[in-house]
Amino acid sequence: MNRTRWLIATLCVVALVAAACGDDDDDSASSSAAAEAEADAAAAQEAAEAADAARADAEERLAEAQAAAEAASAEQQAAAQAELEAAMAAADEAQAAADAATAEAEAAAARESEAQAALAAAAEIAFDFGVDVDEQVIRVGLNTDLTGAFAPLTTKITDGHEAYWEWVNANGGVEGWTVEPVVLDNAYDVPTHLENYEVMSGDGAESVVMLATSTGSPQSAAIAGRLVEDDMAAVPLSWYSGWADPEIGQNLFEVQTNYCIEAMNGSTYMAETYGDKVAIATFPGDYGQDAGRGVKVAAEALGLEVVYDGEGAVIPGADQTPVINGIVNSGADWVWATVNPGHLAELMGGAFSAGFRGHWIGSNPSWNPALLNTAVGPIADEFYTHSAYTVLWGVGEAEGMRETIDVMREYRPDAPFDDVYIYSFIQGYVVQQILERAILTGDLTRAGVLAAANSVTANLKGLAPEQSWRGDPNANVVRETYLYDVDLSLYTPGATVSDVDGNSGFRLIKGPYVSETAANWEYEPCFVAS
Amino acid sequence: MAPAAGSLRSLDLRRGAPLGFLFGALGAALIFGLVQLANDPALFFQTFMKSLGLGSVYALIALGFVLIFKATQTINFAQGALAATGALFVAFLVQERSVFTGDAIQADRYGHIPFTNLRNPLNAMGGPDWLYWVLSVAIALVFAAAVGLVVERLAIRPMVGEPLFSVAVITLGLEIMFRVFNNDAVVIDFRPVHAPWGLEGFTVGGELINWSFIAAMVTAAAAFVAVYFFYRSRLGIAMRAVAFDQEAAMAQGINVGRVFAIAWAAGAVLAAIGGIFATQPPVDQTLSVDQETANIAFRALPAVILGGLDSVTGALLGGLLVGVAEIYAGQYAAANTSWLGAGYPLIVPYVVMLIGLLVRPYGFFGTPEIQRV
Amino acid sequence: MLGRPNLYTSYQQENQLLPTWTQKVVFTLFVAVLFLLPFDLPVISQIPLVRFLGDGDWLLIMSRMLVFAIAALGLNLLSGIGGQVSLGHAFFMGVGACAAVYLGGTSGETTWGHGLPIWVWLPGAGVAAALVGVLVSPVAVRVRGLYLAIVTLGLVFLGLHFGNTSWGTKIAGAPAYGRDFPSLDVRLWKEETPLLDVSSSGRWLWFEVTELQKLYLFMLTLTILFAVVAKNLSRSRTGRALQAIRDRDIAAEVMGVAEFRYKLIAFAVSSFFAGVAGALFAALLERLQVEQFGLFLSVEFIAILLIGGAGTTAGPLIGSFFVVMVPEFVKAFTKWLEAAESGPTEVLAGAMLTDGDDFGIINTAIQTPGWTLSVDAWNIVLFGALIIVFLIAEPLGIFGIWVRIRNYWKRWPFSY
Repeated sequence: MNRTRWLIATLCVVALVAAACGDDDDDSASSSAAAEAEADAAAAQEAAEAADAARADAEERLAEAQAAAEAASAEQQAAAQAELEAAMAAADEAQAAADAATAEAEAAAARESEAQAALAAAAEIAFDFGVDVDEQVIRVGLNTDLTGAFAPLTTKITDGHEAYWEWVNANGGVEGWTVEPVVLDNAYDVPTHLENYEVMSGDGAESVVMLATSTGSPQSAAIAGRLVEDDMAAVPLSWYSGWADPEIGQNLFEVQTNYCIEAMNGSTYMAETYGDKVAIATFPGDYGQDAGRGVKVAAEALGLEVVYDGEGAVIPGADQTPVINGIVNSGADWVWATVNPGHLAELMGGAFSAGFRGHWIGSNPSWNPALLNTAVGPIADEFYTHSAYTVLWGVGEAEGMRETIDVMREYRPDAPFDDVYIYSFIQGYVVQQILERAILTGDLTRAGVLAAANSVTANLKGLAPEQSWRGDPNANVVRETYLYDVDLSLYTPGATVSDVDGNSGFRLIKGPYVSETAANWEYEPCFVAS
Repeated sequence: MAPAAGSLRSLDLRRGAPLGFLFGALGAALIFGLVQLANDPALFFQTFMKSLGLGSVYALIALGFVLIFKATQTINFAQGALAATGALFVAFLVQERSVFTGDAIQADRYGHIPFTNLRNPLNAMGGPDWLYWVLSVAIALVFAAAVGLVVERLAIRPMVGEPLFSVAVITLGLEIMFRVFNNDAVVIDFRPVHAPWGLEGFTVGGELINWSFIAAMVTAAAAFVAVYFFYRSRLGIAMRAVAFDQEAAMAQGINVGRVFAIAWAAGAVLAAIGGIFATQPPVDQTLSVDQETANIAFRALPAVILGGLDSVTGALLGGLLVGVAEIYAGQYAAANTSWLGAGYPLIVPYVVMLIGLLVRPYGFFGTPEIQRV
Repeated sequence: MLGRPNLYTSYQQENQLLPTWTQKVVFTLFVAVLFLLPFDLPVISQIPLVRFLGDGDWLLIMSRMLVFAIAALGLNLLSGIGGQVSLGHAFFMGVGACAAVYLGGTSGETTWGHGLPIWVWLPGAGVAAALVGVLVSPVAVRVRGLYLAIVTLGLVFLGLHFGNTSWGTKIAGAPAYGRDFPSLDVRLWKEETPLLDVSSSGRWLWFEVTELQKLYLFMLTLTILFAVVAKNLSRSRTGRALQAIRDRDIAAEVMGVAEFRYKLIAFAVSSFFAGVAGALFAALLERLQVEQFGLFLSVEFIAILLIGGAGTTAGPLIGSFFVVMVPEFVKAFTKWLEAAESGPTEVLAGAMLTDGDDFGIINTAIQTPGWTLSVDAWNIVLFGALIIVFLIAEPLGIFGIWVRIRNYWKRWPFSY
């Protein structure tokens, strides 16, 4: 007798566990009903073993549960009813109850997924993560640097990016969908970038369909493999020449040209303008050596003489005497520098002090208009040529330019003046057009967005040349750059975007410009890092 | 007792050995220098002045380390952040002349004080402008001293009598906090500090020697003379007594807290002066504070260790030695040492320090700790 | 009388890993919970924090915390027990990571690597770091106190430089770019399918386990292993000798403790821990970048020791949890505030948050208006402030607080 009791008790426990496990897939309404049903099942089982009084008690509770179940929808009520019946049966035969509960839970789960499918079918859109169909919201991720080494630049880009989506959402959104940017700070740090990526690629409240920004080369390289695993697309904020190579950056959609081609165009222009003796001074790594290779490709094609090769010789934070001496003693006509603004100032100022009067040009991120406000401003005014990937603020009458200026003035009237908002809008256009295509093809899954990115041709509304990422990278890679003269007299320090005459000291020389070297160059990563 | 421990400890070299090492190094440098001098005297002279300029900046920072160490027996790792903060004070005062003319300072929405029309500091600093600059520096130094006092009162004073390393780690915490605020203040990348002499200089044999080199040297010399006399004043003697034995000094009626406070204020002022020179050649060409300005203290640390943490003379000589080693290595040895990698002058101070410490564990002029069981 | 706290009848009994039954039971339960934490199990997920930490992306942060704990245990042996203050722990981690990628990485056009399995490169990382530790110990043993701190600080700068030079890049990858790091998959040799697949979601025995859960379990196992080793070392002859040196080195020497030998051992073992942790850190990211192993990382470990409680085995573990997780909690808290819509939370959010136009402490706008900082910047400030506050208010760290609470209740209601 005792044994039998134990057996029944054990079976009851099994039934309860099974019910608990099966319960997971139900939604909250049905699970609350089911939970009460379970409680009753337990009560009823106890009652069956004990006495009639307990059975009466169970029936009373059962009535309660039925009342609760009535509150739920008809479908769920049926489920709860069936479950209650099963619970009643369990009072007599525990094993049967276990089977019934499990079966019922499975049935409920099946109904649930059917309902979801029906909902998606109603919207005619497939989706997995980062999309809220009820609210018609798509989330895109900005994994960017807000406190790290590049924060002065990237906070502005991110601010402009948010302004862009505010404007888009206020004007009907993307095909009726609201786009919500999820901004996380990577502090220009690889571990933090990865942790943010895990959040964005997960299935929580901050999951996204694609990364609209992945700031930094090492950071983007660190997530490149995971992007492929997760079938996700990302736009890197980094212009390394390797991203266009499917081996290195299969799911990274580099916008605009790369450091290498930029250097070819810039070198060609400088050689035509100032002479054929060139000195190179760059940071080590993908950024500096990518550009260094570009200069050398141009030098070979045009027969220039590299009189000082400081590729990778500029070490951040070190005393730059060796590099400055190298440049000064080489007697170069012009110098290509791929560094950051602080080191550019050190090189230009140091070389100028030592009597060097050659011209300077650098990769786009080497320059910061704030330099014009420092002691090297006059030197830059006279000797520096700025290379850029886009038209800059206020240049030309393109549709994108008008939109950028108008939207920034309307949504961020007090934001400090800067040309980088152009990048925000270019990124915005690219992401919007990818999402539009994904919606039109009815597939807002991550894989669907990735496919859309691989088939779209992004129209950057005159801010930069059109771009697509289908097929052969050699055919796709953008080869146009823009060259600007730095002019101190145009510079308006302390301006905001609302200032009509705001200018960061640039005068367009030419652009979009493709040098013959760049046009004839067969694409390959200029700098291989592994 | 294990022989290994004994043998290493008994390898305590007597005074002759370090001096021999010093003279040996100096002799080698002299011969090397003479060869270079014969090759290109003007370049050699320029390099010499440059290295003394850099050495003076290091010496100024090192002096701040030593002042604080002598009073509180701890290394102030926040010295770099204090340097940047001091330079930032100057930047704010110089950019906004309204401090002197009475115009209201109007911060923009982002809390940053906008630039005035001091567009071209090379020209704008002429005339009476240098007076504004000197006044700004003077006021900024007062601010810096105030920051030093506050930091001492809040974070250092409660630690009197605690293990020295704990105090050093507190300063590391301070460094981390200060850097965040500094970086928030330099958010537009460059905060011009300017200087009356700008980037200009005079030429010797066609090679430019910046006025800033001379200014750094003169300032460092003045600072050392001031400290020399300070240590002979009543307060200075009290400070030395505290450095010698805190408890004994307290028993003699010396206010140790006040000594601490003064040492920190003086250390912060020296850091600020060093920070201002860290925006000028040969350290920087922009005459502006940026995120890297604070790193000057980590470049100067080997100088302090090499000279000895508690030696004023050591700070001066250590600073100059490290400056000379760094600049000369960059100027003359770069071509022959590519296997060491580009930018190796940056680690030359640390290598010099490691070798120096092998010979003299308390630096060349530091007082060895007397240990009793 | 047996089983009473603080009653020990033999030295061995006092020196046990877990002296009392209560401790044994609680500890076993605690470890069990740690192992079951990533899985959504009925009973365990009712414990506060467990479901929160064991969920999805928090597991990656938890894994990083465990790796930091291994390194902190190593630093504790050197600094907490041996009294030798080192700011160069990040350097030894970097050495370990570089050695591991040299042994386990794949060679490419610009990088060296041998593609060896994990049972070679993980111990190899530790051994390489330990060898470097032994190499620098002649200098390190000669200098004391703050001089030692600066010497080890110098190591960090030297390491960063050589990791970025022409031949250093063959191992560490391009400067500011890095290289791919071998995954944690366990292989017998270089075969295609791993013996134990750690780097992708899949089946372990009969259970479906995600990649993050695998990483967490892997790191947890290693951390417990290293914690036991560290604990045993600290209660052995070596540990006692090191403590004697810490408390008064000359006195220790007079009593016959071979100072040089034990300092050497401390450096070697601590570097071994650091090397393994460095390799695991890079493996967690599947990416090696030398810039990671800078001064800030070293300071983080000092902070972990001081906040957790130096000189104890539990201290580094608690400290790692605190230092790694608190910033994440602050971030989560800010997000929760931002999402608040009504009630007292909303009032709190109004007081705490600002987007530039009203008063607030934490800035939620992208471009920081005024002098308020973003939550990420505040986190760095908080980190610095925590170091200062703990040193001033509670030098024994969280472990010290715990000991005081425990002692209070042990004697309750007789508090004296």
